[in-house]
Amino acid sequence: MSDTPSPDVELDSRGATCPGPLMDLIGKVKEVEAGTVIELLTSDEGSKNDVPEWLDEAGHELLEIEEHDDHWAIYVETT
Amino acid sequence: MIAKYYKVSRPSISCETAMTGYAVVLASGELERVQAVSMISSIAASSDTPVQVFVTMNGLSAFEKDRVESGDFQVAGPAGEAMLQSGGDEVPLFFEQLQRAKGIGPLEVYACEMVMDIMDTDLDDYVDVFDDTLGVAGFLNRASDKQVLFV
Repeated sequence: MSDTPSPDVELDSRGATCPGPLMDLIGKVKEVEAGTVIELLTSDEGSKNDVPEWLDEAGHELLEIEEHDDHWAIYVETT
Repeated sequence: MIAKYYKVSRPSISCETAMTGYAVVLASGELERVQAVSMISSIAASSDTPVQVFVTMNGLSAFEKDRVESGDFQVAGPAGEAMLQSGGDEVPLFFEQLQRAKGIGPLEVYACEMVMDIMDTDLDDYVDVFDDTLGVAGFLNRASDKQVLFV
C-alpha cells in the first residue's frame, strides 16, 4: 500500500540539530548524480521545514516526508 | 509506526539569482551571535553562495584555542547557556560548522589584523578556521559586491 520511494542513498542524521541534517544533505547532494533518491533521517523537527525550503531554492525535488515516532524520513530526488 | 504520511508536491525554482554573496562582520564574542553567524554562513556557502566572514573586535576572542578548549564562552542569555550545557553534543560548535562548510562551498574566514595587533596574537592562537588575516581595506574590497551583515 505504501508508496514510499526506494532510496538509492540513506543518510542518517538523527541526533544532529540544525543545521546538521541540512549540511549532511547538501554534502550528499553534491556527491551524487542527478536522479538519485536520498532518504534523510532526522530527529530535528526544524528540518522538516528547513529542508524543503532549501530544496525549493536549490531546485531539487522533495518527494515525501514521513513522520515516525521519534524522527522524520525526508525523501529527495536530485535534479 | 508511521504517525503521519503525506505526499508533497512543490514546484522547483531556479537557483539563478542576482545574489553575489554575503560579507559578514562578526564583531561580538557572544556565543549566540557567533553560533548564528556560523550556521547562516555555513548553509549559504554550502549552497554555493559565496560568503566571507570578517572576524573582528571581541568576535576573535571566541576563536581563541584556550577558550574553545575550556568552553569558557561569553553568553548573552538562556540560549547561549543551553548551548554551553549541551557541551557540543547536540549543537556542533561554530568553528566545527565553519570548518565543515569550507570543505563544501565558497566560504572564507578572515581575522582582523588590527585586533590581532592590539591583542598581540597571531593565527596560531586561534582555532584552525581562518584563511588569513585581513585589514579593513581588504574586507571592503571583498565586500563591494556583497550584501553586508553586521553581527
